[in-house]
Amino acid sequence: MKKLSAINRSDKKTAFLMLLPLIGLLTAFVIIPLFYAVFVSFYKWNFYQENIFIGFENYRRVLSDPLFYKAMWTGLKFAAIVIPAQFILAFLFANLIRTLGGKFGGFVKTSIYIPHVISGVVASIIFLFIYDFDGGLANFIITSLGLEQVAWLADVKFALTSISIPAIWLGFGLTTLVMLAGLNDIPKTYYEAAVIDGANAWHKMIYITIPLLKNIFLYLLVVGVTGAIQQFDLPYLMTGGGPLNETMTPNLFIFTHFTKDPYMGYTVASALLLFVILAVISAVIFKLFNSKKMDS
Amino acid sequence: MRKNKLFVVLVSLFTLVILMAGCKGTGPEGESAGAESEETESGKTVIDFWVSWGDSKADWFNKWIDKYNASQDEVEVKATFIAGDAWEQRVKAAQAAGTGPDVMTMNYGSIVFSAQQGKIQPLDEYVDPAIFEDLHDFANEFVSFDGKHYAYPFNAEPGSILLYRKDFFEEAGLDPEQPPETWDELIEYGKKLSKDGRYGLTAAGNTNDLAWSHWGLQAMTGQLPISDDWSKATINNEGYKKLFKFWKTLYDEGIFPKQQPGMYTEIQPLVDGRTAMMFNGSFTFDALRNEYADVVDKIGVAPLPTPDGNYKQPTSAMGGWTFVVDGNSKHPEEAAKFIEWFLAGDPEIMVDFFELSNFSSFTGRKSVDEALKDHPEASNDEWRKILLEKVIPYAVPEPIHAWEISLAYANALERVYLQGQDIDESLKQAEKEINDYIETNDYAGTNPRLQ
Repeated sequence: MKKLSAINRSDKKTAFLMLLPLIGLLTAFVIIPLFYAVFVSFYKWNFYQENIFIGFENYRRVLSDPLFYKAMWTGLKFAAIVIPAQFILAFLFANLIRTLGGKFGGFVKTSIYIPHVISGVVASIIFLFIYDFDGGLANFIITSLGLEQVAWLADVKFALTSISIPAIWLGFGLTTLVMLAGLNDIPKTYYEAAVIDGANAWHKMIYITIPLLKNIFLYLLVVGVTGAIQQFDLPYLMTGGGPLNETMTPNLFIFTHFTKDPYMGYTVASALLLFVILAVISAVIFKLFNSKKMDS
Repeated sequence: MRKNKLFVVLVSLFTLVILMAGCKGTGPEGESAGAESEETESGKTVIDFWVSWGDSKADWFNKWIDKYNASQDEVEVKATFIAGDAWEQRVKAAQAAGTGPDVMTMNYGSIVFSAQQGKIQPLDEYVDPAIFEDLHDFANEFVSFDGKHYAYPFNAEPGSILLYRKDFFEEAGLDPEQPPETWDELIEYGKKLSKDGRYGLTAAGNTNDLAWSHWGLQAMTGQLPISDDWSKATINNEGYKKLFKFWKTLYDEGIFPKQQPGMYTEIQPLVDGRTAMMFNGSFTFDALRNEYADVVDKIGVAPLPTPDGNYKQPTSAMGGWTFVVDGNSKHPEEAAKFIEWFLAGDPEIMVDFFELSNFSSFTGRKSVDEALKDHPEASNDEWRKILLEKVIPYAVPEPIHAWEISLAYANALERVYLQGQDIDESLKQAEKEINDYIETNDYAGTNPRLQ
């Protein structure tokens, strides 16, 4: 027993040593800047003059700005379009790829992963061509079907959905591969036992696959939702946040203040509020899915 | 036990190093500008100079900076060229860390607030006061705050003019030398020029572009959307109603595309014939003459049409660039002297620039204008003549009020033409938004120009 605890102590020490670089980097680049941001958010902050303490004034201004709420709402709507679509597509594709073997399976895996390595900037430019009102592919298809041209990026009804599509395309590859890794981890014997008990494909999916992918789903959901809410480059390049702020995601909203405001207080306060909102959303997701390690 | 101590010491040291690395430069009171190297090996003072246009004009800048460096043996100017997209991040990060440049380019709209916050230093005590007498009134006003000069003008550009295709005018039976002068004429011409595959007119199409490119149109109403002292909204009036109706007609009649073919500053739709007329800025001249020389002869330039056809009123806001000395520069005198040599000295330097940029912008200096009068290309440049005669004398400076005010205007206009909201209702809503902004931000009476 004594020997065992000695090993544990040594293991702990090694673990701490291993963690040290990460903790150091996190402290330098996350924790200190975060506390510093909280500190300056209470000031009328200027790089060149004495800072003036103004208490919660910056927060009051952000919280009484209807555009801040609209931006947060837009972020949520964007996530609500992107994440379910990505999940359903990725789940179906992951199942499909699992049944494919050999070279063809590898080819499909590579093909769907390619969009993930394309930058948002390049995707934006590609989709700007696709959504061009007169010469774009989207309107070519629509008009070939006998429908009227659509102002994909200028129509209030379509703009957010239009920028969601490249987001789905960009994120879909990684989501699929993570789900595929999860699927491959489910022991085949579970399915074999289920078949003996008379389960059909539907039963297998509902009672085996989905419950056993719960932690994978949880990871993808938290990363996906927080990532989608923080979307920046697609609306920045494709719509500039318009029309009528319909595509003004929270990060674009903050960035606009960063570039246009003479003082930085509003920007810092709104960024911190976004941080709190994202933390709450992540906590709610964890709570709803009740994450815990699977019993072996 | 000894091992444990060693472990603790190692951990503490490592954490300390990382913390110090993280802390460096995060303080608001930075050390000094141009902290990288203060002196060259030969003992010259180094002046860091940041230019915000990326590499596009780097050779030109370097050519004249080299001449300056060779002209004296006390100062060495080193230029860094930063692309527009990265500019704000780079400058703000450097300002926060106290490692900003000594001299940088700055647009007119930023000068007053930067001066008010001590981000830039007045030049007056370091330079010959006569250099400011060489400035046109508009340029002098741009760079002045609180009785001092905080910048020296580099160039000036009207942000909204009408460009049109003369060949399409002829095709439609219109006189190519008679561009539309009134809003009604513009609508009429727009209808005649529209055909399958070509729009009558393109202009700003997204919220951001509408927010800034309409400052000239706003000026035609006689009033910005906010009062001069920033105490109340002044958007809900007949002038704006007329302007909104004009814009909505362009959209409803199909003179505009339902979705603009690109950003406001893009010239391609006019070049490739997707539109017959375009609202854009004089900055397009450079691209037109450099990249699309084959269509230059087919393009005409005119002031934006006005409600009554009289061009002797503001039709454009004037933007442009200056050089400034950073508020934290340790060598303000050397920095100011460099600006004086570069921008206020030999007019040939700026003539050389205007030549290189195809006369796409204008000078704020009388002596440079004099020099350009004798320049064969400049004096025969029809586009330049039109702008000098009909646009620039009446142009208004870019407004310096908060971006939210311009955004409230753009959103009100979008509600009308994109969503079909009643003009009166939309203006009422914009009026409320602007007044709410004034109240929430204690904005009334804060215009630094009036203080």
